[in-house]
This record gives sequence, C-alpha cells and structure tokens, in this order.
Amino acid sequence: MRFTIAREKLQEGLAAVAASIPGKTTLPVLANILIETTERGIRFSGTDLDIHVSHEVQADVERPGGITIPAKKLQELARELPPNPVKIESAGEQKVSLECGRAKFKLNGLPKDDFPQFPAIRFGDGWRVKSADVRKLIKHTTYAVSTEESRPILNGVLWELKPDHMRMVATNGHRLAKMDIAVTGHGAQASDLIVMPKALDQVSKLFPDEEDLEVARGDNHLAFRSPFTTIFTRLIEGPYPNYEQVIPKDNDRFAIADKDALSSALRRMATVASDQTHRIKLSFNAGILRFQVNTPDLGDGQDEIPIRYEGDPMDIGFNGAYLLEILKNIPTPEVRLTFKAPERAATVEPEGWSDPATYLTILMPLRLSD
Amino acid sequence: MTADAREPEYREPRILLADADAFFVAVARLVDPEGAGKATLLIVGGRPGSRGVVCSASYEARAYGVRSGMGISQALRLCPGAMAVPVPRGACSQKSKEIRDVLARFAPVVVAASVDEFYLDMSGTEALYHHEPLSVTAQRMRAAVLADTGCRISIGGGTSTLVAKIAAGAAKPIPGSGASGVHIVLPGGEEAFMRTQPLSEIPGIGPKAQERLRSLGLVRVPDVLDADPAQIRRYLGEKLATWLTRKARGIGASALHGRDQQKAMSREDTFDHDVTDEAALETELQRLAVRVVADLRGDGLRARTITVKLRENDFTTRNASRTLDSAVSTERAVFGVARQLLHKLRATRRKPVRLLGVALSHLDDGEIIEQLSLIPDASAAPSETPRDRALAAAMDRVRARFGPGAVQPASLLADTAPTSVEDRSETDGPRAVGPRRR
Repeated sequence: MRFTIAREKLQEGLAAVAASIPGKTTLPVLANILIETTERGIRFSGTDLDIHVSHEVQADVERPGGITIPAKKLQELARELPPNPVKIESAGEQKVSLECGRAKFKLNGLPKDDFPQFPAIRFGDGWRVKSADVRKLIKHTTYAVSTEESRPILNGVLWELKPDHMRMVATNGHRLAKMDIAVTGHGAQASDLIVMPKALDQVSKLFPDEEDLEVARGDNHLAFRSPFTTIFTRLIEGPYPNYEQVIPKDNDRFAIADKDALSSALRRMATVASDQTHRIKLSFNAGILRFQVNTPDLGDGQDEIPIRYEGDPMDIGFNGAYLLEILKNIPTPEVRLTFKAPERAATVEPEGWSDPATYLTILMPLRLSD
Repeated sequence: MTADAREPEYREPRILLADADAFFVAVARLVDPEGAGKATLLIVGGRPGSRGVVCSASYEARAYGVRSGMGISQALRLCPGAMAVPVPRGACSQKSKEIRDVLARFAPVVVAASVDEFYLDMSGTEALYHHEPLSVTAQRMRAAVLADTGCRISIGGGTSTLVAKIAAGAAKPIPGSGASGVHIVLPGGEEAFMRTQPLSEIPGIGPKAQERLRSLGLVRVPDVLDADPAQIRRYLGEKLATWLTRKARGIGASALHGRDQQKAMSREDTFDHDVTDEAALETELQRLAVRVVADLRGDGLRARTITVKLRENDFTTRNASRTLDSAVSTERAVFGVARQLLHKLRATRRKPVRLLGVALSHLDDGEIIEQLSLIPDASAAPSETPRDRALAAAMDRVRARFGPGAVQPASLLADTAPTSVEDRSETDGPRAVGPRRR
C-alpha cells in the first residue's frame, strides 16, 4: 500500500471515524483504525463492534493495500503535521511509514485481516430518506432513552418506517418522546427497527442535512450510506413495548406556558430540589402556575409564573430534571401541557408549531405518599 | 467569656481519638478469664479448624506475623502455640457501649467511628477542665475507662481528626515502644509530628497506593513535604497531589459531625463450609436481607442501591448491584432485587461460595417519593407498595416488643441455612477514617 494524501483529507478521515473507536477495549485491534485504498482514494474505518463507521476521502493511490494503525497515535500525529502532502506506505503487514515535509515516522500496526468485518448488507433493498428528516427525529427523541441496564430494549430508539411516514420513539419507562414525519416514496417495505442511540449520534454527526441517505437492513444489522460515508450498527432485538397504549387520550386539563419562563422557574427550583428525586411540586390554577420545593435537610423554595390554564386546579409532582430536558427539546416558544389527574400521565407538546412533523412527549408524575 | 490573656491559644479545635487496645482480645479475655484470660498468645476470630478469619490478635501473637483478615488456620500455622477463640460478639457491643458511656462523661460530642474507636470533640472545654493540658484530661479518661469497663484505651489528640487518628497510633503502648497511651499533638506542631510518620499511616493510603507512592520514591511524610510541589502534581495529578499534601501537613476535619447520614450499611456471612446448593444460598441471602433491612429501618432510612457480594472458595470476590428508581426499605423489595443479583452472579460463575453479603447504599431519609411508571416493567424486581411498608412497620412493632426473632419469613424458620462464623455490619458514614479491626 502506498498513497499520498492532503493533510486536511487525512484529518477529515480520522475525525469521521474517531468517535466509533472505543476508549477502552480488550481486543487490541479495535483501538486501531483500518486504512484501505479504494478506487476513489482511501477509506478509513473504525468500530467498537456495536457500530462500524467508514469514511472515504480523496488520495493519490500508487499501490493498493490496507493496514490498521493505532487510532490515537495517528490522530495526534495528523494534528501536528506541517501543511504538506502526507506520504503513507506500508512496510510489511504490521508497519507503516509516514512522511510529511521533512518529518518521518514509522508506526506499528496490525494486519488488516485482524480487523472485524461487518456483515454485508444489500442497499438495493433499502429505503431512501432525507438526512435532514432523520436528524430531526434523532434530535427530538433520543434524549428520552433509558440508560439503565435492567431493560435493554429501552436502551434503544424505536424507528418505524412506514410507507407514508417515519416515526421515532424513545422512553425510559417514565418519560417518552415521539416524533412523526411524513415521507413519500422512500422505497422498501415497512419496518420497525430498534437502534442504539450512539449509532444515531453518529448518523447525526456524519450526515449533513442536505444529503440523501440510503438505509438498509440485514438480519441483525442496519446500515446508513451516503456517497462517502457508511455506518453499520447492530440492532437491538425487540419487541418494543406497546407505547401506543400509554399515550393519554382523555386528558381534560390544559395549560399553555411560555417555555423559557417555565424552564427558568424549574431551573431555579431545581437548586433546592433533592438531587436524587428532583421533585418539584407544580400547582396549576387559572392564570397562574405555582412551584414549590421542600427538601428535608436542604431547604425550600417557591415561585410562580403566569400561564393559561383550563380545568380544575391541580397539584402535581414531577421530576424537574425530566421536565427540563423535555422543554429543552420543544421547538416552539410556547408549550402546551395536558393532564388528567395528579397520578396520571401528562403530555407536553409544542404550541403553535407550523411544521409538517408532529411531536409529543409524555411524562409520568411523582407520587408522594406516607 | 471575658477577655482572657490566654484565650487566643485556646481557640484551636481539640479533637481526640480514643481507641481501645486490642479490643476483641481484651473482651475475649474479660468474658473468659480462666481460658483466654490466661493465654498470652491469643487469636480472636474463630476456633481452631474453623473457617473464620482473624479479627484481632494479642500483641504477642502479632509478633509471630498474625494479622487481621488472615484465615485462622494460617494464623495458627504461624503461631502454633496460640489459643484461638470466636469473637464474643454480644460482649463486644456491650463493652463498646460502656466505653462510649464513660467517654461521654468527659466530652460533649462523642462519635463512634467503629466498635472500638471514638472521636471526641473537646473544643471549647478548656475552662471546664480548668485549663489543664489536654494530655492530663486524656489520662484521666483512660483511667476512668479502665476502672469502669476493664478495657484499656489509647488516646491521640490534635487539631483535626486526621492528626488525632495518627497520634492514637503513636500512643499505643505496644511493648517496647515506650508510648504512654496518650499522645497529644499541640496546635502548631502538626507538621513536625507528621514528619515523623510514614505515609502509610495516613488514612486513605492503602497497600496499592503505598506501592505506587513507593515507586515514586515517596515513603515517609517528609518525602512529600520536601519534594518540589510541581513534581508531585506531575506524578499524581492535581487533585491527588493537593489531597496528599494537605494530609501530609496534618490538615483534616477539625469538627465532628455526629449526625451525618450514613452512606451504606451491609451484612455478610462467612460460612462454616462452602455452599454449593442454590436454594441454601438463597435462604442465606434472605436471612441477610432481613437483617440489613432491619438495620436500615432501625435508623429510619431507605435505600436505592442494593449490592450482593459473593466470595468463592478460590477467594475471588464479585459484586453485583442495582440502583432502583425509588428508595425501598422492606424485606420483600430488597430480597427481590438481591435474589436477581445473586442469580446474575451465579449465572456467570458457579463455584462453591465462602461468603455472601448484602449491602445497601444511596440511603435517604426524606419523604417517600415514587416515580410513577409509564411502561410497567414486567421483568423488574417487585417494587415496594404502601402495603409492604405498612406490613414492615407492623413487624417492627412486634419485634420491638417480643424480640428480633418474633416474626420471620417462613422460609427462614426451617433451620437449613449454613451457620456462619462471622457477621459484621459496617457503616461508612460519619467517620473521618475507615473502620479498623484488630
């Protein structure tokens, strides 16, 4: 393998795959980056076995081949190189030499065959979607996934691909976020996928809004492809819980609040809320929303903001951290909340959103007993 | 207080650490004056041939290399002439309480750091003791404890818990050391005192840390204090370097917080014989869960994190833990989670079990706040209902009146569980330093 690459292109390739390389691993080759020559230039690949990211950049290839090199060292080196073309040449299966200007390096690597391969996925059978749509779904839902090991299925984001719309749903069992976007003619048949949020993070990061994405499914894998970038990820095996049945249909108390005013009041209250339960009591009344926090051994606080509210006055307790996180992702200046009773699911939605997408979040309250 | 020429020098904090000398040995001798009382070479922890570990040993036996934590059989190989007796558990808690009561006559604040260590805050008591030197008061405390309880204590003193703790070590009247049982480090003398100490005396520097420091040429306190601070920071990182330098100068907590909340509590048993039967393990787990939950409720606390500890016959120790959404305090909830954790541990490795333990942490005494579920978790451990809590409260009332064994889960009544030789309950809360056993 021998090629010459612009320093910027080398940095671009390394940056694209950097996040897929695990910080700690028991399998040494995973700390390496795979470099292969292609017809268009050079392909960089990294994997943590859950996700596999490849990115192709232009380069002048003199002799085809491939090798793996410690990712961290190569990145450090690429950052410090002078702004000259970089000549990279393999010396046997496990060594690579690198020249840039008058600087010369030799790095120890591992044979390219040691690098784990992902199963081949046929893109021809897949879907074509707009990157902007997928990124929008990801941004508004993934925050709600569970991080607890006890329910692995909730560690994933449900992605439903239907003939006329796409939907993403994420929940940790206490709060849920769901967004729908209408699509036309994306290709393949309907499918429900449960995807790891870290894979979706990579999708958001590596595919700019304006790109068209090809998405294809293998037996247990999912792949995303744009002209220069490919992401493979393992799928989480379902079934996903029946979330439809927990969406409240008969909430009959409504509040509309200014999102920033509500968020700042919650942040103020959070300073004296318990850092374990984050409990904040909200009292909804016509025209006014009162906040109350009382944390033994810490202190208490009260606040209020004007709101529009319809329904009988009601006190309800929430995990303030959950509510704040929901508000952070609401795309409109005003937010609409609906309730049925203090121990029933509440919904939080954008108010007056002139977007073809629909967005709903659900939050379960905290019960105060004894 | 009126302006007094001597006042400024008395503004310093005055912290003492009273530490019972070879406490378990002393108590074993008190309860069995004819047997253990006459044995110079005495090991406390279990009978010969038993599976216990050394809890404490007489200074004479320690000279043979006997150390806390080693198996009884190994200890007896090192010191063949020694007598080995089990821990007189009830007598130890009784003596511990008696010692504490005597100390409370002298000090306004007494905080037990373990069964045989007590921190005393004597700050502001100067006039009460007619401005006598602290060492004189401390000697009177020793005499009173010996007269009333039959136990000898050593007392260290200084302006912080750290200095008091290390001074107590220096005060120990170990044969040949020439120490008098009291060592008070006067205000301003902390650094000079610390300079006489090895770094290993500083609480928090365990064997691993000692090894690392030794590899950097840091063995005694002066090695740290006389080194270039920038170099220490480079070696250890900013945070650790700051911590170590402060400790090396003798800077530590200068007031006691007796009512600080505990951070964890646990119960564990070492079995007489390795246990391989899964049902017996589960029964033992339930027994531990019932006991640790009784401790938990006794202190009016609830716990969010449950940990199961397993030590196998090859001395491999493994833990599994889970943090729940809401804090719990009932046997049903704790045992339910502990059982799942035990299954998880046994699923990965199924060796005979030597020790089993249950620990509770993320303790909380606030209101019971329950995060309601949107999507109920069928696979999750049974959570705690108000009914469970009412039941637990009722059982507590029965036990308070008729004794701890009055109400038991039926599965614990059949005496199928292996008997244990060691039982301890630990807390990591208020103390400035960890528990110490000898």
